[in-house]
Amino acid sequence: MDSHVEEGCSSETLTFMELAIEQAKDALNSLEVPVGCVIAEDGKVIASGRNRTTETRNGGVIPKKKKKRVDVIWTRIGDCISIKALKTSNLPSLYSWTLIVVGTSLNFLWQATRHAEMEAIDALLEQWQKSGLSVSEVAEKFSACSLYVTCEPCIMCAAALSILGIKEVYYGCANDKFGGCGSILSLHSSSSKLPKSGNIAQRKDFKCTGGIMALEAVSLLRRFYEQGNPNGRGMCWFISITSTLYEDLEAKLSG
Amino acid sequence: MKKHTTDMWKIIHIPDKLPIPPNQQPTVNVLASVIDPKHANTLIRRLNQIAPLKNVCHVKRIRKKHLEGGKTQLSVILCLASEDNSLLNSLPQDVQELSDSYQLSPFVTKVCKYAATSKEEWEEQCKLWPTSYHPPTYNIDGITGFSEEDSLSILSFMKVAIELAKSGDGLIVNAAVIVDPSVQQIITNGCDQIFSWHAPMNKTCIRNDCIEQSTNLDSHQSNGVASTVTEVLPNASPSEPESLSCAVSCLNPWKWSEQQSDTANSYYCHPLRHAAIVAIESSADRDRRLFPDLGDAEEKSFETSQSSHVVAMVKRQKTSVANVEKKEADPPNMPSNSVPERPYLCTGCDIYLVWEPCIMCAMALVHQRIRRIFYAFPNPNNGALGSLHRLQGEKSLNHHYAVFRICVPEEALDIAGNRKSC
Ligand SMILES: [Zn+2]
Ligand SMILES: [Zn+2]
Repeated sequence: MDSHVEEGCSSETLTFMELAIEQAKDALNSLEVPVGCVIAEDGKVIASGRNRTTETRNGGVIPKKKKKRVDVIWTRIGDCISIKALKTSNLPSLYSWTLIVVGTSLNFLWQATRHAEMEAIDALLEQWQKSGLSVSEVAEKFSACSLYVTCEPCIMCAAALSILGIKEVYYGCANDKFGGCGSILSLHSSSSKLPKSGNIAQRKDFKCTGGIMALEAVSLLRRFYEQGNPNGRGMCWFISITSTLYEDLEAKLSG
Repeated sequence: MKKHTTDMWKIIHIPDKLPIPPNQQPTVNVLASVIDPKHANTLIRRLNQIAPLKNVCHVKRIRKKHLEGGKTQLSVILCLASEDNSLLNSLPQDVQELSDSYQLSPFVTKVCKYAATSKEEWEEQCKLWPTSYHPPTYNIDGITGFSEEDSLSILSFMKVAIELAKSGDGLIVNAAVIVDPSVQQIITNGCDQIFSWHAPMNKTCIRNDCIEQSTNLDSHQSNGVASTVTEVLPNASPSEPESLSCAVSCLNPWKWSEQQSDTANSYYCHPLRHAAIVAIESSADRDRRLFPDLGDAEEKSFETSQSSHVVAMVKRQKTSVANVEKKEADPPNMPSNSVPERPYLCTGCDIYLVWEPCIMCAMALVHQRIRRIFYAFPNPNNGALGSLHRLQGEKSLNHHYAVFRICVPEEALDIAGNRKSC
């Protein structure tokens, strides 16, 4: 066994957390806050998710594959960058192509609630719906699922996981600002705040273990924030122009 | 609706912290001394330098007491005392020196630990030791009260939410209406969608309907809502008005799992689709639709190498660039001038909820940067804005909204004269 195995952690837990880290890396590559998760049942990963606060999902307005994301960061509006420098090969040679940054902040926050956990949960519910599970079967399934997430679930996600009645949660680093599993609120254990009431459905607690591969999780987050204000980074917009038009535009932009 | 009921629709601010009885405010100990009035200025100036009243800035340094016979007595706070230690020899050295040179006789007394948040609290504080009181000047409108005009518009939006809540056949659900108060327009709305008759494949369709609907609302201002709520619980039969049931998700978020189902495949179950979550999603979809990403247009220029098209593209581009130049670092605008600025989440927007949201919904509204929340009915067992939790007072969060309750007469929920009980 690997020497990095943390105390009291099974190799299975670490394997799943590594997969969650992979999801977080995927988020980082998409200029999202790098948090990722997987949901496992019977030792198998059945869903995964990563932060998706800036993208459309479910094939919305902008299909993902249509996005031409060029990671030229620190460009400013109006910057002109020669296309050759970007090694973009699939452009028609008829025109000289220039890339003009017409806007930054294109990684625009649409829905700040699309956290990794929510993405994985939605994927799972859709999957179970397709296989025709009844409500009680869905509830039963959730009670057999474990979630591995690189950062402590926020208050919203912790509440959601409790509502679904998930069995257990393993997380990497703590979430000092929003954490719902001990840092700010403790929504995984209801014992502290439980108004007893007659025929109200039972609140569900889940087992929660933190600190799994926390260093890896933190270093990803650090990398993200050290890159600077993510909203200052621009995706670029290609336009095709002839050289005269280009000169015209360039003059406009510099003047 | 009868005229007199309107008077009952009162708006109350739900504060960040649980109100404490004015006479039970927390206190701290300070060391004070009676002084000779002619030394007052010198002493205060010196004390403010050597022992500033950190963390208790609301406490006044000096107290003037009217004694019998028209005399007045001045006392001054020398410094904060440690809670467990009332010994006078704990004075810091320079305070001690000052005390010695003016022959003061320090004593321990109590002052209120926190600044007063109301006039009542302040009056009570001054009985211990005078404090200053600044009526709240939050930057969120409404905390200090609403104008007649604002109140009327707030009530009208809440009425829209209530109509939405009872628009489901024979079923009362929670409903949310997101409003841009700067233009008095409904941006979007949403109802609980824990169970819906639609399969997930059709989910996009539902949302598209929703978008169309919100567009109508935009253009027709906010005169009522013509919403069709398609989702109903499987066991609620529209043909039996007597079987009205209440299915407000936030009231008991765990209830979904107890739902009996005999027709497993006929509806879609998503236990987290509470009204607020649905509305947030719908507003995000609306933004994406109104402000499509530049990536879309860019793609077209790749697909067609027709020169005319390209030139057209560039022309459009140029106007775009010009717009951008004017606006510097702002996100690029749409070509038309009538299109508003691309919104950043729900910044500046208000949400109207019929029931106080659960903690999941309340936190989602923090993430989405809602400015104000108005709700009509409290959620005693699971409410997160004053009932079970008080998220608006959670200091560690990066965003705080103001919360208001609108006291709505219960009859407002009546459907066709049927009295409801939740
Ligand atoms: Zn979260
Ligand atoms: Zn809720």
